Amino acid sequence: MATHKHTLVPGASFVDPKVLARIGNLELLARTIVDGFINGIHRASYLGVSVDFAEHRGYTPGDDIRRIDWRLYARTDRYYVKEFEADSNANFSVILDVSKSMAFSSGGLSKLDYAKYLAASLSYFANKQRDRVGIVTFDSEILERVPSSAKHLDLVFHTIDRAVAGRPGQLGDPLFRMTEFFKRRGVLALISDFYEEPDTILEAVKQFRAQGHDVMVFHVLDPAEVEFPYDAASSFEDLESGERIPIVPENLRAQYRKLIKEHTSTLARRFTEQRIDYAVFNTSTPIDHALFAFLSARERLLRVRR
Amino acid sequence: MTFLAPLLLLGLAALGIPVLVHLIHRERDQLIQFPSLMFLERIPYRSMRRQKIRNWPLFLLRCVALILLILAFARPFFTSATTVAGALGGGREIVLLLDRSYSMGYGDRWQRAQAFARREVNLLGANDRATLVLFGRSAEASARSAVDHASVHTAIDRAEVGVGITRFGPALQLAKGILEQSELTEREAILISDFQKNGWSGDEAVTFEEGIVLRPVSVDESDTSNITVTSVAFEREPFSAAEQVTALARLVNRSSLSATNVSVALELDGREVAKRLVDIEASATATVAFDPFIVGEGQLRGTVRIGDDALQQDNAFHFTLLSGQLVSVLIVKPDVANPDSSLYLERALAIGNTPTFITEAITVRDLDVNALEGRSVVILNDTAPPVGSAGDALVDFVSAGGGVLAVLGEQVRWTSEVSDILPGSFGAPTDRGSNRSNVLGYVDYSHQVFDVFNAPRSGDLSSAHFFRHRPFTVTNPESILARFDDGSVALAERRLGQGRVLVWTSTLDSYWNDLALKPVYLPFVHQVVKHLASYVEPTEWYTTAQVLNVASLYAASGRRLEPKHDDPVAVTPTGERQPITVNDSSALLELAHQGFYELHTPGGDIDIPLAVAVNTDRSESDLTTLDPQELAGAVTGRAGAATPGHLVLHEQSPKEIEGQQALWRYLLVVALLLLTAETVLSNKLSQRAQ
Repeated sequence: MATHKHTLVPGASFVDPKVLARIGNLELLARTIVDGFINGIHRASYLGVSVDFAEHRGYTPGDDIRRIDWRLYARTDRYYVKEFEADSNANFSVILDVSKSMAFSSGGLSKLDYAKYLAASLSYFANKQRDRVGIVTFDSEILERVPSSAKHLDLVFHTIDRAVAGRPGQLGDPLFRMTEFFKRRGVLALISDFYEEPDTILEAVKQFRAQGHDVMVFHVLDPAEVEFPYDAASSFEDLESGERIPIVPENLRAQYRKLIKEHTSTLARRFTEQRIDYAVFNTSTPIDHALFAFLSARERLLRVRR
Repeated sequence: MTFLAPLLLLGLAALGIPVLVHLIHRERDQLIQFPSLMFLERIPYRSMRRQKIRNWPLFLLRCVALILLILAFARPFFTSATTVAGALGGGREIVLLLDRSYSMGYGDRWQRAQAFARREVNLLGANDRATLVLFGRSAEASARSAVDHASVHTAIDRAEVGVGITRFGPALQLAKGILEQSELTEREAILISDFQKNGWSGDEAVTFEEGIVLRPVSVDESDTSNITVTSVAFEREPFSAAEQVTALARLVNRSSLSATNVSVALELDGREVAKRLVDIEASATATVAFDPFIVGEGQLRGTVRIGDDALQQDNAFHFTLLSGQLVSVLIVKPDVANPDSSLYLERALAIGNTPTFITEAITVRDLDVNALEGRSVVILNDTAPPVGSAGDALVDFVSAGGGVLAVLGEQVRWTSEVSDILPGSFGAPTDRGSNRSNVLGYVDYSHQVFDVFNAPRSGDLSSAHFFRHRPFTVTNPESILARFDDGSVALAERRLGQGRVLVWTSTLDSYWNDLALKPVYLPFVHQVVKHLASYVEPTEWYTTAQVLNVASLYAASGRRLEPKHDDPVAVTPTGERQPITVNDSSALLELAHQGFYELHTPGGDIDIPLAVAVNTDRSESDLTTLDPQELAGAVTGRAGAATPGHLVLHEQSPKEIEGQQALWRYLLVVALLLLTAETVLSNKLSQRAQ
């Protein structure tokens, strides 16, 4: 997973067969009703052809006579039409943070690489279940956008491949602008390291929720950001702002760990309140394990919520 | 305070840099890029900064230890004596042991030793006390425990290289006494010497008590060379009426390099008469034989001299020679005597040249005052003593220092007038009996006469058989020198005035005994005559530091110190006049210089000076050294008692002062102790923090 495979579609190298094999028997289901045109695995916002009986209603002229429940007519001598819940395909979009801080790596994969694997895997997976896939990359601005389409997987991969962390980022403004892109309700996967205040993050993400999107938030962190394993007194430079401060890590390691834990806890709590799935992905954890754990948990919760 | 390596003090600045950076938060030694400082910036400022020194004692401990380390490497020293005293606590008692044996005259050893001693005194503080001990064979203290250091300086300046040899024992013993009596806490003996091996036998039994430091300071050079005239031997042969003497000088090369064309000259009475060039192998000896020369009347002064080398004091060897050592013996025979009665005696006295005996035999009838003139010994060989004026003259002769041997033979008839010169009275001849004989049963070997027979296999006096003798009754039993085995007296002595009278109770021919036929006869007769003549074997030279009995010397030269004379005066080789006090029969003179002493008798009829040749003890010429530390260890009982000093060529170079004070050692020790404490403290703090 650490090296890119050379394929015809460059971004496809981020799709690791091992990851797909691990999550292949799962479904990335939208927890909310999504809009789609073709039959899919997600519940649609309308009634349609499905195996799931919804209700009977009286026949009105114009209804397809094939949908009349003849057995009920035999019992009641009235025409009733059987309604079924429709299944739909969904718009699945990855919102990928490519700000400079995502370039950080304490030794293994950088956060951006890890996020790319994650985005590619999810896109491929979604495409496999006939969802339309798209992607938006952003830092302090929206950088690239691939609208959701069943045929855009290659484009998505290309976009993932080209993504480079180069500039400082921010969540609020780009996400606000993105709301215009996602008119139809769908599934959004936001991948970022979320170096913003929880309120700012929530304000930004909440808009998607308000639009009816099913939002999954992937918080990617490097182990060094969690553990803060530094010993030697050093100067720490902010990757995005370039600000430097001298630090004796051992003196503030505990405080740092406490702060980062509070940050993720707060985010988890606030996202949960908004019915947004939130998961912290540590880049030291193999992505298949992390994704499997996330999707399994989501599936279980989805069944419960239904 | 000054520093030997002040540049190293820049290290102090280096020490300050981390502290400075620490305090102004400017360190950028390691840059870590981090995604966001969002959380780090939230942590309160003070806990992030390293300027917070959590443990001041630990910080100070480290700083002080490092500062001390840097100071130690910068080699500090005090230039002011007072400061040193203050720094070291003051109140030191030091004893400067300055070797003045003549080997210190080698090269510039003495100047360096003096310079070092002066410097040590300069380093003394106001409360310090110093003693200067000059030593050679013996030791003497000057300026004892002086607080006035100027007096010590004066004593050092006045000190000169002596002519004695090195003996460390007396000097160390003296230093020990001074230091052990001192109430000061810091006591040190500084031994400045060339550390000749001959000066220390290891049996000196000098041990300093605990707390007294011995610091040996060697001024010897690593490579020395010295050629010495160790002795001169003489081969004497009669030549016409005088003596012909061949001088053989023995030279020793005490270096590891062979010497070539060494000039060896013989001087007689101040005039160079011969010169030789010799080659001497390394660590070898050579003998130089000069052409014979005639020793006539009077005393001859000679010197064997070699060319200059680094040690001058052993380049000349002085001696004196006297023409024939004569002992005049008058043998008095009875008027009617057996013609062979003096045969053995005369023959025995005709042999030998140390001294040469000049004998004359006369009958008792011819004995008068004139016959006694110039005689040393009169042998009354089986004859009665003269009577009348001759008898009186004989008594006067003895009283004035002459010697008389009375041989009691067959014809002896002593009248009462002169018999009182004898140590007792005798009777008629007695025989031991048929086929029996006496032998000498008791001999006083401590007496000069029998002294030469004392050693084993040096003559068996009991081998002679005595068939007849005259019984002799002594007035004083202590006067008996030999007895026969039956207890009767064989030889007795009496002192009369300045002279001696010996009585032999048998004969000196072969009639009454067979002594004359035994090998011991000749030495016996010689010893008896030498004793009666108060003969002292002449000494060609003496050694410095010897004490000379001038009276014996005069006697040996055939002259006497008359009571009417004024006290003799010695003119030393340096030209000083030194009166000699005559007590009873002795007049002592200490020989303190090398060269010729001249002895004058101012009140005498004719003042013919008597020369005495004095040479230095040539054992001092051997410049082989011992390990100063070994000596110090033996004296203090501690190996490596003190750091030995080194030769000093000039006064107080900073390096030497620093080397002597060695303050860096103290600083280093303190720094190491502090670092040890720091380790313990930081470990404890670390454990507590965990």
